[in-house]
Amino acid sequence: MSVSDRERVSHVVRRLSVGAHPDVVGALRTTDDAIARALDLSAPAAPPPTLAPPATEEESRRVAAITEPLAWWIGRMRADSRLIEERLVWFWHDHFATSIAKVRVPYLMWQQHLTIRRYATGSFADLLHAMAKDPAMLVWLDGVTNTARQRNENFGRECMELFTLGRNAGYTQDDVVAASRAFTGWVVDVPFRRNAVAAGAAPYAAAFVPRRHDAGTKTLLGATGDFDLEGALDVILDHPAAARFVATKLHRELVGVDPDPPTVARLAATFRRDWGVLSLVEAIVTSPAFTSDAAVRAKVRTPLEKLVTLLQAVPSRAPAHAANGGGKAALAALRRMGYVPFAPPNVGGFPKGAPLLGPHELVHALDLLAAIGGPPPEAFTADVDALFARFGVFDVAPASRAVVASHDDPVTRVALVLTSPEVALT
Amino acid sequence: MTGEPRRVTRRQFLTGAGIVATAAVAGGYGVSVWTRDAPTTKKQARTVAHGDPRGTLVVVELGGGNDALNMVVPNDPAYRALRPTLGVSDPIHLDDETGLHPKLVKLAERYRRGQVAIVEGVGYPDPNLSHFASLATWWSAHPGGSLDTGWLGRYLDATVGFDDPLALVAIGPTPSPAVLGERSFATSIADATGLTPRLPAWADRASDVVAAWRGFAPAPVDPVTLTERVDDALRLTVSARDELRATLGTGGAPAASDVGAAPGGALVDELELAGRLVAGRRRPRVVYVSGTGDFDTHQGEATRHPALMADLDTGIDRLFTAAGPAGKDLLVMTVSEFGRRPAENGSGTDHGTAAAHLLVGSSVRGGRHGARPSLARLDQHGNPVATVDFRALYASVLRDWLHADPEPVLDGAFGGLRVVA
Repeated sequence: MSVSDRERVSHVVRRLSVGAHPDVVGALRTTDDAIARALDLSAPAAPPPTLAPPATEEESRRVAAITEPLAWWIGRMRADSRLIEERLVWFWHDHFATSIAKVRVPYLMWQQHLTIRRYATGSFADLLHAMAKDPAMLVWLDGVTNTARQRNENFGRECMELFTLGRNAGYTQDDVVAASRAFTGWVVDVPFRRNAVAAGAAPYAAAFVPRRHDAGTKTLLGATGDFDLEGALDVILDHPAAARFVATKLHRELVGVDPDPPTVARLAATFRRDWGVLSLVEAIVTSPAFTSDAAVRAKVRTPLEKLVTLLQAVPSRAPAHAANGGGKAALAALRRMGYVPFAPPNVGGFPKGAPLLGPHELVHALDLLAAIGGPPPEAFTADVDALFARFGVFDVAPASRAVVASHDDPVTRVALVLTSPEVALT
Repeated sequence: MTGEPRRVTRRQFLTGAGIVATAAVAGGYGVSVWTRDAPTTKKQARTVAHGDPRGTLVVVELGGGNDALNMVVPNDPAYRALRPTLGVSDPIHLDDETGLHPKLVKLAERYRRGQVAIVEGVGYPDPNLSHFASLATWWSAHPGGSLDTGWLGRYLDATVGFDDPLALVAIGPTPSPAVLGERSFATSIADATGLTPRLPAWADRASDVVAAWRGFAPAPVDPVTLTERVDDALRLTVSARDELRATLGTGGAPAASDVGAAPGGALVDELELAGRLVAGRRRPRVVYVSGTGDFDTHQGEATRHPALMADLDTGIDRLFTAAGPAGKDLLVMTVSEFGRRPAENGSGTDHGTAAAHLLVGSSVRGGRHGARPSLARLDQHGNPVATVDFRALYASVLRDWLHADPEPVLDGAFGGLRVVA
């Protein structure tokens, strides 16, 4: 069965947003229209909530404080405007994966999120520079304890391996050392932390302390100089692997398959010009690979995508609850699937592909049902094809249709569509 | 889908076979695992000569890089010089050259009864100090290679295939890449509730939806396309769920977990759960315990590492207790992506290389194995040089415990170690 036009349009929306908003998908006729709609950033950006800097130690560690901003965020993913922005915010959140399990202070995690949001659709170079000095990142990868006298290589290594160049770019342990030396000197005043460094900076902000910095000459990736953090980042960005690595990763995210070498070269050249993220996105989605048959349903749908799609597809019995990202129960479900925003399992990011098809992930996808707050109206699930269409699925196998149709209960029908092979892929 | 299967192969998007985009994150994307042509593995995993395992292998992954130098403590002035603050000053005496971390009380007792094998100097050539490269190496048993399959996944591919969804149960918050195969999969659970959805009362009717999944995939086929893989995964999940219910029952308190909960305490719970699986009616061949504790002690090691050691000691003890009589057919093995650097660095230690590992069980050849790396002759980054390839450790348990030919699983011969009697 070849891919229907409606399925192909839905595919575009699924890849360029986090969910598959039925109203958006329903109004689009061609993939070009879908691309334009997803990339349209003319609607004003909703102002994100702010968290107040914590005033007491207890408040600073109250991890639950992240759940409210997270609910707003999921609400943004569910919305029908600025689609590509949310796809990119998630992409960078995963790319610069930082976990609250170590950072501990929700305020810092949310500040990092706001930084990502600020630069997500702008320049990757600006984003990288901002993230290297981001307080949560400095805590997460031990930047705050990296000094001239006592070097900590955690950020230096992960910055090149995971954020910019990739493992096989040819940099050496000596380059890791050089980068780490350049990155020395940054601290974050985290009040109430045992080894907090009061540098005269505002609490919870990053500050540069010259006496902690190794100002000596370094040779990094073949370039020699007394690089500081910004200097080192510029050297790294200059390396030919940087544009290739990031462009490849974004291609993989949006298209669902790896780009061939000519495509990598072409994308890297575009990206390298001004590090514009949207220019790179456009270059990726305007290539034939993006809308080809082989790209459709080539990715395993993530638990977060399933949650957002569910919230968009099914009218909620508790609209405030749904507007709240499905509330605590949805968060608990994501936890059981090992897929919690702000808590990636490690600095490599969230699980992708095959690990998402394990029995555990498949079974606990059902837990997401709690997000809709109550059974949908029976009329809503009466037409099985229309129900699948609400989930952005138009090419439905007869076996799947039969399974759903053989149950009358509306909750069961929704549960079966949510866990069907069609929705398992995206 | 009806009609011809749409084959999603990497060939359609790559010119020039043999160019493999290495997934930066273990697991990669769906396509790279599910294509029949996997350019990275030159050999197809074939059915290996195998017999019945002697019992269950429980692998305990000490994620982050365990500071084994403070776990198996050398009686060596170089050690004290390298670790003036963080060195263990009161190890439990095992022999004149060796002590155990003071928190490993029960393991020390087992050692005296000949039930603990310590393998020293375990690592691999040309060590990589990155978590991901090293984890990928230990998971895949392919140093420097890409991570398409895990060593235990290939063991499953070569032995039970898809026929036995509970041959390997992985316990942890997310499935481990070590158990990912091409023609098999392992069942993953996070806690004692096994494979049971958690639904609100109003969704009660949907609680048995899993049973209906068989209808999505009526005709079992040898999956080739991604869609077929999904169908197959649904079918297998139903079977696995039914079996686990029989073993674990419907009781068992779920482990409380929080968005920001420190990962440490889970180790004890997970090992106890492993014990219950071993005691069950269809005990697994392998239980893989991961996601437990954060051994990556760059900071605060003086408090963190003793707590981790205490958890390990308690956890292994609870594992044997929960296993009951089946505990005599149990072999526990620790793994970790690397050790830590001998020289302390502030309040912790940096990534290291070779490390000691433990095997526990009534069938081990108790005592010390391998060769202790010299603390006087460290490599150019101040790390010990490995004397035992970790694949020799894998080979020993594959061959002597699981009774499987290790060579096709590990893509090579790694002899020289006998840790099982």
